[in-house]
Amino acid sequence: MAGYFAGIDIGSTMTKVVIMNEEIIASLVRVTTPEQRRLANKVMEEALERANFSFDEITYVVATGYGRINVAFADKQVTEISCHARGVASLIPTVRTIIDIGGQDCKGIKLSAGKVVNFVMNDKCAAGTGRFLEITARALGVKLEEIGKLSLTSRKPVEISSTCTVFAEQEVVTKLAEGIPLSDILAGLHQAIASRILTMVSRVRIEREVVVTGGGAKNVGLVRALESRLGFPVLIPPDPLLTGAIGAALLGRDAAEKAQKEGLPLAKRQRRLEEVELFA
Amino acid sequence: MPNQIKCFVGVDIGSAFSKAAVLMDSRTVSHIIPSGGNYRLAAEKAVSEALAKSNLPMENAVPVVATGYGANSIPSAHIVTDISCHAKGTSHLLPSARTAIDIGDMFTRVIRLDSEGRATSFLSSGICAGGSGRVLQVIAHVLRVRLEDIGELSLKSQNRVNFHTSCAVFAETETVSRVAEGTLKEDVLAGLHRALAAQIQSLVERLGVERDCALVGGGAKDIGLVKSLEEVMGLKLLVPEEPQIVAALGAALIAREKADRS
Repeated sequence: MAGYFAGIDIGSTMTKVVIMNEEIIASLVRVTTPEQRRLANKVMEEALERANFSFDEITYVVATGYGRINVAFADKQVTEISCHARGVASLIPTVRTIIDIGGQDCKGIKLSAGKVVNFVMNDKCAAGTGRFLEITARALGVKLEEIGKLSLTSRKPVEISSTCTVFAEQEVVTKLAEGIPLSDILAGLHQAIASRILTMVSRVRIEREVVVTGGGAKNVGLVRALESRLGFPVLIPPDPLLTGAIGAALLGRDAAEKAQKEGLPLAKRQRRLEEVELFA
Repeated sequence: MPNQIKCFVGVDIGSAFSKAAVLMDSRTVSHIIPSGGNYRLAAEKAVSEALAKSNLPMENAVPVVATGYGANSIPSAHIVTDISCHAKGTSHLLPSARTAIDIGDMFTRVIRLDSEGRATSFLSSGICAGGSGRVLQVIAHVLRVRLEDIGELSLKSQNRVNFHTSCAVFAETETVSRVAEGTLKEDVLAGLHRALAAQIQSLVERLGVERDCALVGGGAKDIGLVKSLEEVMGLKLLVPEEPQIVAALGAALIAREKADRS
């Protein structure tokens, strides 16, 4: 299929864009800001600039993620469940279970032959999401990107009894004041969150291969804690933040292929990429 | 001789604030400080400052009755559960109370008590901070409003937002989004109070209310929350003048009872 396809994934914490056909031509990850309509335009323009394309050269745009409704220029909005599944299955065809650990939610997706058969999701409680680690890392005075590695140096992980982020924050501060080594507290936190995530995901029955995506996949301490609890290794795609956006772009390509095969016109939206009026 | 004055000290080491109450024959003095990270230091500071306020020398500091989240960190103190302390303190201040709702930083508790100030049954919010006072602090911080001002401010709301989450962490993100959309602070606060009140009500319902119902703990200082709870519960709540020191006062009363018995 000729042409270029864009996927834009506006997550609660990070916004991801890819422009691709077979291969990724340009990709971008930015922090999600509250004014998502403006953000969507900005990241798209930036990605186009990187790819050295004009907007008209993009055949189809699919938006996904929690903020997908705010992508006014998208031809289609698709749920992140479908996009993650499509993206991960294209990168790792043997996948049966996806554990997506996002900034403010956590999902378990079960696949069979690349198709979604079931999923579970937590977006009501911050436990088991990236926000849990972000807040506890801040309480401990450690950078989020360092906690994973630091936790691996632990010899004796402490038990963290709280799942609620607020309680865990209080608990780790108390433990630190008691003189417990930082690495042991971090290891305990990763075990607590891994247990919480797996309890939820096991509702869809975890089967190999298990692929971990989202920001949580970049935390080696969390990945190890998940593996030790599962008893087998998990797989991580090369850029675990991008799988939703890749899936979105590929679903766009699928739609174009289908239209071509059936000799029908591709259902596209009248779209323009321009500065939007906010709260008008 | 000032150190001859008979006094009883109760201290309540909460996760957010430490409270000390000094009970004397003719009067009671109380003192509130932020707990910080070290509960032992917080306890010492709260007690010594409360004694200084009472013009009493430090010798009066021991023995004390301690309660609250950090009570275990205080050596030599006699520890009593915050349920008993809240029941005792509430009954002392508001003798007609048969139910006390305590809205603390990490937990909300509903306590049924008898005319003697004994707790007969209780329920505590469990493993989630969603229905506790912490969310008020988090949102006050995000909105850059002083904690003590959010109650009054929320009463000005004409157009309360509908809060989607009960999680204290997600409430913060939701507030950030609302503010970015241009929602007024008072409307966010009124929505927050309503969501919190609904969650507290669901806990209260499980235990059942016997009148009169008192509201104590730091959360009771928030007039917006008090009004919202009254609306949701459909009854008038009794709030003591200084609701935050009720458990510390209860601890001091228990210290006096202990001394009377021995």
